[in-house]
Amino acid sequence: MTDQRHPSPTIALIGCGAIAEQYYLPVFSAQPMLAKNLVLVDPDLPRIEKLAKQLNARMCLQDYRDLPADVQGTILATPTHLHHPMAHHLISRGMHILCEKPLADTAAHARELVELAEQKGTTIAVNYLQRLIPSFTRVKELLSQGALGELQTIEYIVGEEFDWPTISGFYFNAPLTSRGVLRDRGAHVVDHICWWLNGKPTLVRSQNDAFGGSECVSRIEFEHHKCRGTILLNWLAKTPCTFKVVCEHGVIEGEVYDYQTLSIQKGSEKKQKLKLAGEKTKIEIANRIVNNFVEILQHRAQPLISGQDVLPSIEFIDECNEQATRFEMPWYAIVENAHG
Amino acid sequence: MDKNNHYLVTGAGGFIGGWVAETIFLQNQHNVRAGLHRWAGAARLSRFQMDLSICDIMNPDQLDQVMDGITHVIHCAKGPSPESMINGTRNVIEAAARRGVKHMVHLSTAEVYGNPTGIVDETHALVKTGNPYADAKLEAEQVCAEYIQKGFPLSIVRPSIVYGPFSKTWSVSIGEKLKSGNWGIFKGNGDGICNLIYVSDLVKEVLSISQNEQAIGQSYNLNGPDSLTWNEYFARFNNALGLPELKVIEPESAKMKASIIDPMRTAAKYARDHFEKQIKSLAASFGPAKSAMKYLEGIIKSAPRMVDFDLFNRNAVYPDDKVRNLLGYLPEVNLDTGLSLTVAWMKQVGLIK
Repeated sequence: MTDQRHPSPTIALIGCGAIAEQYYLPVFSAQPMLAKNLVLVDPDLPRIEKLAKQLNARMCLQDYRDLPADVQGTILATPTHLHHPMAHHLISRGMHILCEKPLADTAAHARELVELAEQKGTTIAVNYLQRLIPSFTRVKELLSQGALGELQTIEYIVGEEFDWPTISGFYFNAPLTSRGVLRDRGAHVVDHICWWLNGKPTLVRSQNDAFGGSECVSRIEFEHHKCRGTILLNWLAKTPCTFKVVCEHGVIEGEVYDYQTLSIQKGSEKKQKLKLAGEKTKIEIANRIVNNFVEILQHRAQPLISGQDVLPSIEFIDECNEQATRFEMPWYAIVENAHG
Repeated sequence: MDKNNHYLVTGAGGFIGGWVAETIFLQNQHNVRAGLHRWAGAARLSRFQMDLSICDIMNPDQLDQVMDGITHVIHCAKGPSPESMINGTRNVIEAAARRGVKHMVHLSTAEVYGNPTGIVDETHALVKTGNPYADAKLEAEQVCAEYIQKGFPLSIVRPSIVYGPFSKTWSVSIGEKLKSGNWGIFKGNGDGICNLIYVSDLVKEVLSISQNEQAIGQSYNLNGPDSLTWNEYFARFNNALGLPELKVIEPESAKMKASIIDPMRTAAKYARDHFEKQIKSLAASFGPAKSAMKYLEGIIKSAPRMVDFDLFNRNAVYPDDKVRNLLGYLPEVNLDTGLSLTVAWMKQVGLIK
């Protein structure tokens, strides 16, 4: 990746919490030439000094506004509500950005960043890593080729207990606009839907279980031309995490965490299991995303997934949140009616 | 009642603690602070705009902070180990005592009575059985008794089998077993009494106890309105889920299966505890290994353990007359209603279609 013709760029990793440690730092750790130019930025100085020592990184800073002028690109791995103000500052300084998902807490903020980057001639790449998973990519190819006829329905369910080892608790203390299962897990799921559909669907119904806070269960119904679909997301219980795409002449089914397998049933034929080549783990995808960012900084590549690419999904999530109504939850009704 | 009451719920990230915190919040008669062991457990309660605080019961300084301004404590936290259940309870009581808390309710369990038969009221001896959870709860009760003796205002509740939305053990897990098709009516092994109490009945009683001075220094069994066997519970839950009728499993077959699967379960747990990373890596790189693991996991999760039969055969009733006399209250959610609410919740989150 880094040779004499293309010297390693200087990259700053802003936000060194759980996502940085589990996803980005292993990539730098495996590429010492890249790591030696790395600037780590996080308010927790002792923590990043320790990490910098392990990586032989260039320097540590507590404030992203103090980044030296020779930093070419920044990876934003901070809580969602900080993406917009930080990215705005960094793009204004002419830096390229690789931003964690979601790009911003609202569509207006995301659009503003994309427009600013265009004005400043910088690039926004985004880590919507699931677009690079072989099974999701194959669904996109099949739909684009129209091999199975017109799209009819999409059912997508993801349920897993929230268990992210957040140290700061930002998931629950941040402004409401950047919280909840729809902004978190839904960032990927809605992005797939928009990507597969080639655009933003029309919202039919949005329901969730929030009582003034952030939702843990979100159910979305949508339509797009002749296709109707549902998304069910939850942070409360582990359910099968699957998607089912029904077309006029066939059905595609997959499991969210089985990156390399897809089932396809064409017409009346027997269901076939496809084994797909490509990345098997998140770390392999992280490697691809970071290396793509390095190539962007070396003016050798365009982003695998750009800020512009994910705008439809962020807009759709905004619509879902704005129009959401609360589920009927009779198990709470009996509590509210019975004063102890 | 008085909105000047400020409740701290320890273990609010758990099934019962979560329900207690939610109920206080929704009834809007008292203020509530939800004490969480770690932020990862905050998702459920973050749906409400309530006071969420990190509260590690093994950290006296942290406890001292979260106890600030608190008048009532509902202690549901158990911590990650038996030691934390015992010493954590001591820490909670001491912090509450320093802050002049008016009344604390300690959530214990009917399992502190050991493996008895017949009518088991609050005068029954507490017996250690070697079950780490039950034995630690018993020792935590001994800690409570020590402070009650010293005059600390504390009540102990001993719930039986608590079920309802969010219950992993007695609702989600049993539901999954029923769905697997491997569960059934255990002939000769499921005719013990299943002392079910729906979670909102339990919470209502706990909160009423916390507001009743006469309850201080006392222990109470908490049980539900239905009298049924475990096999009846399985059959009625199965029916509420709309599943085909359960098969009858002969005693020899049930015990033989459990005796084969128990060692597999132990081995799987050991492998997960010691080689999780390697197992995940193997599963990611070798499809057949992943399929085999998934298949094995399905079998293990849907099969009863030998120790389950001890519970399913236990002919013990934990009468709740004492709390009924105190509160003049009858648990009101019968099994049909409780199961219907549980199934509705399971549908909402996608556990069933």
